[in-house]
Amino acid sequence: MMPSPLQRIRRRSVLVVLVCALVSLACVIYPIYVIRPFRAQGANELAAALVVARFRSVLTMFSGLAALVSLLGWYWPAEPRKLRRLFASLATAFVCLLAFLGRVNVYELMFHPLGRPSFLAAQQAKIDPDDKIIAVSIDGEAHAYPIRTMGYHHIVNDVVGNRAIVATY
Amino acid sequence: MWTREVDGLRLTFHLAGINNQNFLMRDEETGSYWQQITGRAVSGPLKGRQLTLVPSDELNFATWKSEQPQGAVLKDVPQYASEYERKDWDVQMKRVPVVINFPEHGMKARNLMLGIRAFGAGRAFPYDKVLKEKLVKDHVGAEPVLLVVGDDNQSVRVFRDRIPGVDGAPDFYRLSPPKPVALLMDASSGSEWNFQGCAVTGTAKGICLERVQALKDYWFDWRNYNPQTTIWGKN
Repeated sequence: MMPSPLQRIRRRSVLVVLVCALVSLACVIYPIYVIRPFRAQGANELAAALVVARFRSVLTMFSGLAALVSLLGWYWPAEPRKLRRLFASLATAFVCLLAFLGRVNVYELMFHPLGRPSFLAAQQAKIDPDDKIIAVSIDGEAHAYPIRTMGYHHIVNDVVGNRAIVATY
Repeated sequence: MWTREVDGLRLTFHLAGINNQNFLMRDEETGSYWQQITGRAVSGPLKGRQLTLVPSDELNFATWKSEQPQGAVLKDVPQYASEYERKDWDVQMKRVPVVINFPEHGMKARNLMLGIRAFGAGRAFPYDKVLKEKLVKDHVGAEPVLLVVGDDNQSVRVFRDRIPGVDGAPDFYRLSPPKPVALLMDASSGSEWNFQGCAVTGTAKGICLERVQALKDYWFDWRNYNPQTTIWGKN
Protein backbone atom coordinates (compact mmCIF):
# COMPACT_ATOMS: atom_id res chain seq x y z
CA MET A 1 0.00 0.00 0.00
CA MET A 2 1.29 3.41 -0.92
CA PRO A 3 1.85 5.75 2.05
CA SER A 4 -0.58 8.63 2.20
CA PRO A 5 0.69 12.17 1.54
CA LEU A 6 0.40 12.91 5.27
CA GLN A 7 2.44 9.80 6.12
CA ARG A 8 5.11 10.88 3.68
CA ILE A 9 5.28 14.32 5.28
CA ARG A 10 5.54 12.79 8.75
CA ARG A 11 8.30 10.40 7.67
CA ARG A 12 10.25 13.19 6.00
CA SER A 13 9.87 15.32 9.07
CA VAL A 14 11.03 12.56 11.44
CA LEU A 15 14.02 11.90 9.17
CA VAL A 16 15.03 15.57 9.24
CA VAL A 17 14.85 15.72 13.05
CA LEU A 18 16.86 12.47 13.34
CA VAL A 19 19.59 13.68 10.97
CA CYS A 20 19.73 17.02 12.82
CA ALA A 21 20.03 15.21 16.15
CA LEU A 22 22.87 13.02 14.86
CA VAL A 23 24.77 15.95 13.30
CA SER A 24 24.43 18.07 16.44
CA LEU A 25 25.35 15.18 18.72
CA ALA A 26 28.49 14.51 16.68
CA CYS A 27 29.42 18.22 16.72
CA VAL A 28 29.12 18.38 20.50
CA ILE A 29 30.60 15.00 21.43
CA TYR A 30 33.50 14.55 19.00
CA PRO A 31 35.68 17.49 20.19
CA ILE A 32 34.99 16.60 23.84
CA TYR A 33 35.89 12.98 23.16
CA VAL A 34 39.17 13.80 21.37
CA ILE A 35 40.33 16.82 23.38
CA ARG A 36 39.83 15.38 26.84
CA PRO A 37 42.50 15.25 29.54
CA PHE A 38 44.44 12.06 30.19
CA ARG A 39 44.02 10.87 26.63
CA ALA A 40 46.75 10.97 23.98
CA GLN A 41 45.73 13.15 21.02
CA GLY A 42 46.74 12.04 17.52
CA ALA A 43 47.59 14.82 15.05
CA ASN A 44 44.82 14.04 12.55
CA GLU A 45 42.02 13.51 15.03
CA LEU A 46 43.03 16.69 16.87
CA ALA A 47 42.94 18.68 13.62
CA ALA A 48 39.49 17.25 12.82
CA ALA A 49 38.21 17.92 16.35
CA LEU A 50 39.39 21.54 16.21
CA VAL A 51 37.65 22.10 12.88
CA VAL A 52 34.44 20.70 14.39
CA ALA A 53 34.97 22.84 17.50
CA ARG A 54 35.31 25.97 15.37
CA PHE A 55 32.13 25.36 13.40
CA ARG A 56 29.97 23.54 15.94
CA SER A 57 28.12 26.61 17.19
CA VAL A 58 26.96 27.48 13.66
CA LEU A 59 26.27 23.85 12.67
CA THR A 60 24.27 23.03 15.79
CA MET A 61 22.32 26.28 15.50
CA PHE A 62 21.27 25.54 11.90
CA SER A 63 20.55 21.98 12.89
CA GLY A 64 18.30 23.20 15.73
CA LEU A 65 16.49 25.60 13.39
CA ALA A 66 15.98 22.88 10.77
CA ALA A 67 14.53 20.56 13.40
CA LEU A 68 12.19 23.28 14.63
CA VAL A 69 10.98 24.13 11.13
CA SER A 70 10.47 20.46 10.40
CA LEU A 71 8.48 19.93 13.59
CA LEU A 72 6.28 23.00 13.39
CA GLY A 73 5.96 23.32 9.62
CA TRP A 74 5.57 19.67 8.60
CA TYR A 75 5.06 17.25 11.44
CA TRP A 76 2.61 19.15 13.63
CA PRO A 77 0.00 19.83 10.89
CA ALA A 78 0.37 16.25 9.58
CA GLU A 79 0.15 14.42 12.91
CA PRO A 80 -2.93 14.84 15.09
CA ARG A 81 -1.94 12.15 17.66
CA LYS A 82 -0.85 13.88 20.87
CA LEU A 83 1.65 11.29 22.11
CA ARG A 84 3.52 11.31 18.82
CA ARG A 85 3.52 15.07 18.81
CA LEU A 86 5.04 14.97 22.29
CA PHE A 87 7.83 12.59 21.23
CA ALA A 88 8.61 14.70 18.15
CA SER A 89 8.69 17.83 20.31
CA LEU A 90 11.04 16.21 22.81
CA ALA A 91 13.38 15.13 20.02
CA THR A 92 13.38 18.68 18.63
CA ALA A 93 13.99 20.15 22.09
CA PHE A 94 17.00 17.82 22.38
CA VAL A 95 18.41 19.18 19.09
CA CYS A 96 17.87 22.74 20.41
CA LEU A 97 19.63 21.82 23.67
CA LEU A 98 22.59 20.58 21.60
CA ALA A 99 22.62 23.96 19.81
CA PHE A 100 23.09 25.56 23.21
CA LEU A 101 25.81 23.05 24.24
CA GLY A 102 27.54 23.68 20.91
CA ARG A 103 28.31 27.19 22.08
CA VAL A 104 30.04 25.98 25.25
CA ASN A 105 33.72 25.07 25.49
CA VAL A 106 34.17 23.13 28.72
CA TYR A 107 37.79 24.29 29.06
CA GLU A 108 36.78 27.93 28.72
CA LEU A 109 34.20 27.39 31.47
CA MET A 110 36.69 25.71 33.79
CA PHE A 111 39.73 27.95 33.35
CA HIS A 112 39.95 31.66 34.05
CA PRO A 113 42.70 33.35 32.04
CA LEU A 114 43.28 37.01 32.78
CA GLY A 115 42.30 39.61 30.21
CA ARG A 116 42.86 42.77 32.24
CA PRO A 117 45.47 41.91 34.84
CA SER A 118 46.13 44.22 37.80
CA PHE A 119 49.57 44.78 39.27
CA LEU A 120 51.13 46.09 42.42
CA ALA A 121 54.60 47.42 43.15
CA ALA A 122 57.28 44.82 43.88
CA GLN A 123 57.93 46.44 47.25
CA GLN A 124 54.27 46.01 48.28
CA ALA A 125 53.80 42.42 47.08
CA LYS A 126 53.33 39.93 49.88
CA ILE A 127 55.13 37.03 48.27
CA ASP A 128 57.60 34.68 49.94
CA PRO A 129 61.19 35.41 48.92
CA ASP A 130 61.59 31.85 47.62
CA ASP A 131 58.36 31.85 45.60
CA LYS A 132 59.01 31.46 41.91
CA ILE A 133 57.87 34.04 39.41
CA ILE A 134 58.04 34.33 35.64
CA ALA A 135 59.71 37.60 34.77
CA VAL A 136 59.61 39.71 31.65
CA SER A 137 61.16 43.09 30.97
CA ILE A 138 60.46 45.19 27.87
CA ASP A 139 61.73 48.73 27.33
CA GLY A 140 62.49 49.18 31.01
CA GLU A 141 59.09 47.93 32.24
CA ALA A 142 59.33 44.76 34.33
CA HIS A 143 56.43 42.44 35.17
CA ALA A 144 56.51 39.36 37.39
CA TYR A 145 53.87 36.62 37.34
CA PRO A 146 53.91 34.41 40.46
CA ILE A 147 53.87 30.69 39.65
CA ARG A 148 51.17 30.09 42.29
CA THR A 149 48.89 32.44 40.37
CA MET A 150 49.95 31.23 36.93
CA GLY A 151 49.38 27.60 37.91
CA TYR A 152 45.71 28.57 38.26
CA HIS A 153 45.08 31.18 35.54
CA HIS A 154 47.67 29.72 33.08
CA ILE A 155 47.23 32.64 30.66
CA VAL A 156 47.66 36.38 31.25
CA ASN A 157 46.93 38.76 28.37
CA ASP A 158 49.15 41.67 29.26
CA VAL A 159 50.83 44.78 27.87
CA VAL A 160 54.45 45.42 28.89
CA GLY A 161 56.42 48.41 27.58
CA ASN A 162 53.66 49.07 25.01
CA ARG A 163 53.99 45.53 23.68
CA ALA A 164 51.01 43.21 23.87
CA ILE A 165 52.18 39.86 25.20
CA VAL A 166 50.67 36.68 26.55
CA ALA A 167 52.28 35.07 29.57
CA THR A 168 51.59 31.35 29.70
CA TYR A 169 52.37 28.67 32.24
CA MET B 1 55.77 33.89 26.64
CA TRP B 2 54.66 35.34 23.32
CA THR B 3 53.73 38.58 21.63
CA ARG B 4 50.00 38.59 20.93
CA GLU B 5 49.86 40.69 17.83
CA VAL B 6 49.60 39.29 14.30
CA ASP B 7 49.50 41.67 11.31
CA GLY B 8 48.55 44.53 13.63
CA LEU B 9 45.67 42.56 15.15
CA ARG B 10 45.87 42.29 18.94
CA LEU B 11 44.75 38.86 20.11
CA THR B 12 43.12 37.89 23.40
CA PHE B 13 43.75 34.31 24.42
CA HIS B 14 41.61 31.83 26.30
CA LEU B 15 42.51 28.36 27.50
CA ALA B 16 40.44 26.24 25.14
CA GLY B 17 41.74 22.68 25.10
CA ILE B 18 44.60 20.32 25.61
CA ASN B 19 46.93 18.47 23.27
CA ASN B 20 48.92 15.73 24.96
CA GLN B 21 48.92 17.76 28.18
CA ASN B 22 50.16 20.95 26.59
CA PHE B 23 47.32 23.42 26.47
CA LEU B 24 45.64 24.96 23.46
CA MET B 25 44.71 28.62 23.38
CA ARG B 26 41.90 30.17 21.37
CA ASP B 27 42.04 33.78 20.32
CA GLU B 28 38.67 35.48 20.55
CA GLU B 29 39.36 37.75 17.57
CA THR B 30 39.68 35.05 14.87
CA GLY B 31 38.76 31.84 16.72
CA SER B 32 42.10 30.26 15.78
CA TYR B 33 43.63 27.65 18.08
CA TRP B 34 47.27 27.98 19.20
CA GLN B 35 49.66 25.52 20.84
CA GLN B 36 51.08 26.93 24.06
CA ILE B 37 54.59 25.48 23.83
CA THR B 38 55.23 26.40 20.19
CA GLY B 39 53.22 29.63 19.88
CA ARG B 40 51.97 28.38 16.52
CA ALA B 41 48.38 28.43 15.28
CA VAL B 42 47.25 24.85 14.63
CA SER B 43 43.70 25.49 13.40
CA GLY B 44 41.57 28.36 12.15
CA PRO B 45 42.07 31.43 9.95
CA LEU B 46 45.57 32.06 11.36
CA LYS B 47 46.69 28.41 11.02
CA GLY B 48 50.46 28.21 10.45
CA ARG B 49 51.17 31.66 11.89
CA GLN B 50 53.85 31.90 14.55
CA LEU B 51 53.81 34.22 17.56
CA THR B 52 57.13 35.87 18.38
CA LEU B 53 58.90 34.58 21.47
CA VAL B 54 59.32 37.11 24.28
CA PRO B 55 62.40 36.34 26.41
CA SER B 56 61.44 35.56 29.99
CA ASP B 57 62.99 34.15 33.14
CA GLU B 58 61.77 31.86 35.85
CA LEU B 59 63.26 33.36 38.98
CA ASN B 60 62.99 33.33 42.71
CA PHE B 61 60.94 36.38 43.82
CA ALA B 62 63.72 37.84 46.02
CA THR B 63 66.22 37.64 43.16
CA TRP B 64 63.83 39.36 40.76
CA LYS B 65 62.95 42.07 43.30
CA SER B 66 66.62 42.88 43.88
CA GLU B 67 67.11 43.28 40.12
CA GLN B 68 63.83 45.09 39.45
CA PRO B 69 62.99 47.13 42.57
CA GLN B 70 60.59 49.26 40.49
CA GLY B 71 58.94 46.21 38.90
CA ALA B 72 55.26 45.29 39.04
CA VAL B 73 53.84 42.01 40.31
CA LEU B 74 50.63 40.40 39.09
CA LYS B 75 47.93 40.87 41.71
CA ASP B 76 45.80 38.00 43.00
CA VAL B 77 42.21 38.00 41.78
CA PRO B 78 40.32 37.80 45.10
CA GLN B 79 37.50 35.56 43.86
CA TYR B 80 39.97 32.86 42.77
CA ALA B 81 42.82 33.40 45.26
CA SER B 82 41.68 30.59 47.57
CA GLU B 83 42.18 28.14 44.70
CA TYR B 84 45.69 29.26 43.77
CA GLU B 85 48.36 26.61 43.58
CA ARG B 86 51.15 25.78 45.96
CA LYS B 87 54.53 27.34 45.38
CA ASP B 88 56.01 24.01 44.24
CA TRP B 89 53.27 23.48 41.65
CA ASP B 90 55.65 22.01 39.07
CA VAL B 91 56.83 19.41 41.61
CA GLN B 92 53.24 18.62 42.70
CA MET B 93 52.31 18.08 39.05
CA LYS B 94 54.89 15.27 38.83
CA ARG B 95 52.25 12.99 40.36
CA VAL B 96 49.80 13.62 37.52
CA PRO B 97 49.76 10.72 35.03
CA VAL B 98 51.01 11.30 31.50
CA VAL B 99 49.53 10.15 28.20
CA ILE B 100 52.71 10.12 26.13
CA ASN B 101 56.18 9.06 27.17
CA PHE B 102 59.67 8.82 25.72
CA PRO B 103 61.56 6.55 28.10
CA GLU B 104 64.89 6.87 26.26
CA HIS B 105 68.16 7.33 28.17
CA GLY B 106 66.38 6.33 31.39
CA MET B 107 64.37 9.54 31.39
CA LYS B 108 61.13 9.67 33.37
CA ALA B 109 58.17 11.44 31.76
CA ARG B 110 57.92 14.17 34.38
CA ASN B 111 61.60 14.83 34.96
CA LEU B 112 61.95 18.61 35.00
CA MET B 113 64.27 19.83 32.26
CA LEU B 114 65.67 23.10 31.10
CA GLY B 115 65.15 22.94 27.37
CA ILE B 116 67.10 25.09 24.96
CA ARG B 117 66.26 25.38 21.31
CA ALA B 118 68.88 27.55 19.66
CA PHE B 119 71.74 27.52 17.16
CA GLY B 120 69.94 24.94 15.02
CA ALA B 121 69.73 22.35 17.77
CA GLY B 122 67.76 21.29 20.84
CA ARG B 123 69.29 20.26 24.13
CA ALA B 124 67.71 19.40 27.48
CA PHE B 125 69.37 19.80 30.87
CA PRO B 126 67.99 17.92 33.88
CA TYR B 127 66.97 20.79 36.15
CA ASP B 128 67.99 19.22 39.47
CA LYS B 129 71.41 18.33 38.09
CA VAL B 130 71.96 21.90 36.92
CA LEU B 131 71.04 23.20 40.39
CA LYS B 132 73.62 20.83 41.91
CA GLU B 133 76.37 21.82 39.45
CA LYS B 134 75.67 25.56 39.84
CA LEU B 135 77.70 26.34 36.71
CA VAL B 136 77.37 24.23 33.57
CA LYS B 137 79.56 24.71 30.52
CA ASP B 138 78.19 22.88 27.55
CA HIS B 139 77.23 23.23 23.89
CA VAL B 140 73.93 23.63 22.08
CA GLY B 141 74.68 22.63 18.51
CA ALA B 142 78.20 23.95 18.00
CA GLU B 143 77.69 26.96 20.26
CA PRO B 144 79.25 27.01 23.74
CA VAL B 145 76.72 27.93 26.43
CA LEU B 146 76.88 28.69 30.11
CA LEU B 147 74.12 27.73 32.56
CA VAL B 148 74.41 29.79 35.74
CA VAL B 149 72.54 29.13 38.98
CA GLY B 150 71.80 32.27 41.02
CA ASP B 151 72.75 32.88 44.63
CA ASP B 152 69.26 31.76 45.61
CA ASN B 153 70.14 28.24 44.39
CA GLN B 154 66.83 28.15 42.48
CA SER B 155 67.04 30.53 39.53
CA VAL B 156 68.90 29.57 36.38
CA ARG B 157 69.98 31.74 33.45
CA VAL B 158 71.64 30.67 30.22
CA PHE B 159 74.19 32.69 28.26
CA ARG B 160 76.41 32.25 25.22
CA ASP B 161 79.82 31.33 26.59
CA ARG B 162 81.70 34.06 24.75
CA ILE B 163 82.29 37.69 25.56
CA PRO B 164 80.92 39.96 22.82
CA GLY B 165 83.75 41.79 21.11
CA VAL B 166 86.46 39.70 22.76
CA ASP B 167 88.27 36.88 20.98
CA GLY B 168 88.94 33.55 22.62
CA ALA B 169 87.14 31.41 25.18
CA PRO B 170 86.38 33.29 28.42
CA ASP B 171 86.73 30.34 30.88
CA PHE B 172 84.20 31.32 33.54
CA TYR B 173 84.28 30.00 37.10
CA ARG B 174 82.18 30.68 40.17
CA LEU B 175 83.42 33.01 42.87
CA SER B 176 83.56 31.19 46.17
CA PRO B 177 82.04 32.68 48.20
CA PRO B 178 80.04 34.83 45.78
CA LYS B 179 80.15 38.61 46.26
CA PRO B 180 76.95 40.64 46.70
CA VAL B 181 77.38 42.08 43.21
CA ALA B 182 79.12 39.25 41.36
CA LEU B 183 79.06 35.47 41.25
CA LEU B 184 81.32 34.65 38.30
CA MET B 185 84.79 35.54 37.15
CA ASP B 186 86.33 34.85 33.78
CA ALA B 187 89.95 33.75 33.74
CA SER B 188 90.74 35.42 30.43
CA SER B 189 89.95 39.03 31.42
CA GLY B 190 89.79 38.72 35.20
CA SER B 191 86.42 40.48 35.16
CA GLU B 192 83.65 39.74 37.64
CA TRP B 193 80.13 39.08 36.37
CA ASN B 194 76.70 39.27 37.96
CA PHE B 195 73.70 36.98 37.55
CA GLN B 196 72.35 39.18 34.77
CA GLY B 197 75.43 38.24 32.77
CA CYS B 198 77.04 41.67 32.92
CA ALA B 199 80.64 42.40 33.90
CA VAL B 200 80.77 44.64 36.96
CA THR B 201 84.57 44.86 37.33
CA GLY B 202 87.69 44.37 35.19
CA THR B 203 88.45 45.12 31.57
CA ALA B 204 85.09 43.72 30.42
CA LYS B 205 83.13 46.03 32.77
CA GLY B 206 79.88 47.16 31.15
CA ILE B 207 79.77 44.25 28.68
CA CYS B 208 76.86 41.82 28.99
CA LEU B 209 76.80 38.24 27.76
CA GLU B 210 74.18 37.31 25.19
CA ARG B 211 71.17 35.63 26.79
CA VAL B 212 69.88 32.28 25.55
CA GLN B 213 66.20 31.48 26.13
CA ALA B 214 65.54 28.32 28.15
CA LEU B 215 62.21 26.68 28.94
CA LYS B 216 61.56 24.74 32.12
CA ASP B 217 59.42 21.83 31.04
CA TYR B 218 58.69 18.18 31.72
CA TRP B 219 60.73 15.72 29.69
CA PHE B 220 57.74 14.21 27.85
CA ASP B 221 56.53 17.62 26.67
CA TRP B 222 59.96 18.91 25.69
CA ARG B 223 60.80 15.71 23.82
CA ASN B 224 57.40 15.65 22.06
CA TYR B 225 58.06 19.04 20.45
CA ASN B 226 61.83 18.61 20.09
CA PRO B 227 62.25 15.08 18.73
CA GLN B 228 65.92 15.72 17.82
CA THR B 229 66.84 16.92 21.30
CA THR B 230 69.96 15.66 23.00
CA ILE B 231 70.36 15.48 26.76
CA TRP B 232 73.20 16.94 28.77
CA GLY B 233 75.08 14.16 30.53
CA LYS B 234 73.57 11.46 28.26
CA ASN B 235 74.43 12.19 24.63
